[in-house]
Amino acid sequence: MTENQSSINSKTKKKKTDDQFEFCKVCRLNHDQGRRHKYFPNHVKSLSSFLSRFQQKLSDVKFFLKNPAPLRPEHAARNRLWCAFCDSDFDELGSSFACGNAINHLASADHLKNLKNFLWKHGGGMDQVDSFRISEADLAKWEKKCTSLKSEATRDGSHRPLIGPSNGMRDASSCLPAGSQFHSNPWGLQHLTGYMDSQQSFVTNGGNCHGNVYTGNGGVGGMYQAHPVETMVNRESSSQGLHNLTQISGIVQDAKGNVHSGAPPPWFDVNEENLRKGKSKQGFGSSNLASSLKKSGKSQKLNPKRVGAAWAEKRKIELEMEKRGEIATDNFDVNWLPNFGRVWQSGTRKESRKEFQVENKNSQQGETQSETSIEIQPYVSKRKRTEVE
Amino acid sequence: MSLGLTTLTKKREVDSIIRDTIDKVLVLRFGRASDPLSLQLDDIISKSAREVSKFATVALVDIDSEEIQVYVKYFDITFIPSTVFFFNAHHMKMDSGSADHTKWVGAFQRKQDFIDVVEAIYRGAMKGKLIVSCPLPPERIPKFQLLYKDV
Repeated sequence: MTENQSSINSKTKKKKTDDQFEFCKVCRLNHDQGRRHKYFPNHVKSLSSFLSRFQQKLSDVKFFLKNPAPLRPEHAARNRLWCAFCDSDFDELGSSFACGNAINHLASADHLKNLKNFLWKHGGGMDQVDSFRISEADLAKWEKKCTSLKSEATRDGSHRPLIGPSNGMRDASSCLPAGSQFHSNPWGLQHLTGYMDSQQSFVTNGGNCHGNVYTGNGGVGGMYQAHPVETMVNRESSSQGLHNLTQISGIVQDAKGNVHSGAPPPWFDVNEENLRKGKSKQGFGSSNLASSLKKSGKSQKLNPKRVGAAWAEKRKIELEMEKRGEIATDNFDVNWLPNFGRVWQSGTRKESRKEFQVENKNSQQGETQSETSIEIQPYVSKRKRTEVE
Repeated sequence: MSLGLTTLTKKREVDSIIRDTIDKVLVLRFGRASDPLSLQLDDIISKSAREVSKFATVALVDIDSEEIQVYVKYFDITFIPSTVFFFNAHHMKMDSGSADHTKWVGAFQRKQDFIDVVEAIYRGAMKGKLIVSCPLPPERIPKFQLLYKDV
C-alpha cells in the first residue's frame, strides 16, 4: 500500500520528488532521487544481488516443484518462504507437501502482479518475470504429481489399514494450525471408509489447503462434528501413532529416497545444482557474471590503467569460475613464470622471460649433451667458453 | 621462524600466490631462516604485514628449496635477503639508487621504511607505473655491489 502510494507520488509529483524521500527496499535506502534512482549504478548493483539472492531461495522451491515431497508436520515450521516481491511470508504449517504454499503463491496472479510492479519500479527487465514465478503448466504438473503421490500413499494405506489412517491424519493435521490436531481424525476415517472417496477428498483438500489454510480448517472442524461416531473408530486406529513415521518414510523412499535410504540430501543434488546454475544464468544472462564480479571487488574504483589491469580482470573471472567449480583450479602450466624484468635485461619484461626460457632450455640441453658426450669426447661448448672468458 | 607469515617452498606455491594476488602488492622475501639479516628483515616484515594487509600480501620464500631454484635463477637472486615485488602478476621495479632495480636487497632499518616502500609501489602500480623511485633517503638504503655475470 505504501509502496503503491509512493510510486504514485513519484509519478505524479515527478518534479517535486527532489525533496521527497522514498524508501528503496532494494538498496535499503531513503532517497530523494525519484524515478531516476533505479538507473543509479549502486541500485543496479544491489538489485542484481537482491534478485540473485531471491533466485537462490526459489531454487529450493523449484526443486520441490519438480519433485514433490510430503512435508512432515514437525518440519513444517522450518519450511517457509519470504516473498520479496509481495512482502509476505509463506509458511508451510498448513500444507501437506514441501513448499506447497510457496508454490501456490508463486503461481498466483497476485504474485505476478506484484512481481511486475516490482520490476517496473526497480528496473531489471520484464524478461526476468518467468524466472521468479511458476507457470500454470508447472503448477498443474505439480498438483498432478501431488495427487498421484497421495493416492499412492492411500493405496498403501488400504493395504495396511492400521497405518493408512494415521497417514491420513498426518495429511489432515498438516492442514490445520497447531493445536487443533484432534479435528483431523475425520480425514483419516475417510481412508478407512472408502478408497475412491478418500482420493477425492485429497484433491479438494489439497486445493483448499494450499489456497487458504484457515477456511479449510473450518471445513474440517465442521466435518468432525458431523461424524462423531466415526471419530471414535478412528481414534482407536490412530493410537498406533508409531506407524506414522514408518509410513511416511515409505512414501519418501518411493519419491526420491531420503536420509534413511542413503540418498543425497536435496541441497547436494547435482542435477538440482546444475539446474539452478542454468536457471540463474538464463535469468540474468551475461550480466550475472559481471555483477558478481562487481560485487567481489572494488574494481570500479580502481584505475583501469593500473599495472596488469587486464590481467587482473581476466584472472578474477577465472577465480570466480574456479570457485564455482566450472574450471579446475591450478590448471596452469607447470613452467609458468610471471613477467619479470631481469637485472641485466633491457626491453620489455616479456622478452626477459623469453630469454630466461631460452636460457633454461639451453642449459638443460647443454647438461644432457655434456653428460652424454663426456665419455665419447671431451667437448667444451662455445657458451661455456665465453662464460669462462 | 615464520612469524605468522606463509613460507613457500615449491615453485607451484609461488606461482599460485603470484597469480592469485589481485590488485594488491605481493611482497616475496627470498632468504633463509638461518641467515641473521634475513631474520631481521623477517622480523620487520612480519610486524608490518598486518598494517599493509589492505594493499599488500607478504610471503617468505625459502631459497634453499630445490623447487625454488628456477625462481632464484629467474629473479637473478645473488644476495639474500632479496625482496621482489609483484602487482597483478607483473614485476614491479624500484629505483633506489642501487645497482639492482629489480628487487630490494638487504633488510629494512625499521618498520616504517618497509611500509613506505610497499606503499610507494602500490601507488605507482595503481597509476600504471612499472618502476617507482624509492621513497627512502639514501642513508637508509642498504648498499651492495653487483657484478655483471660474476666477472
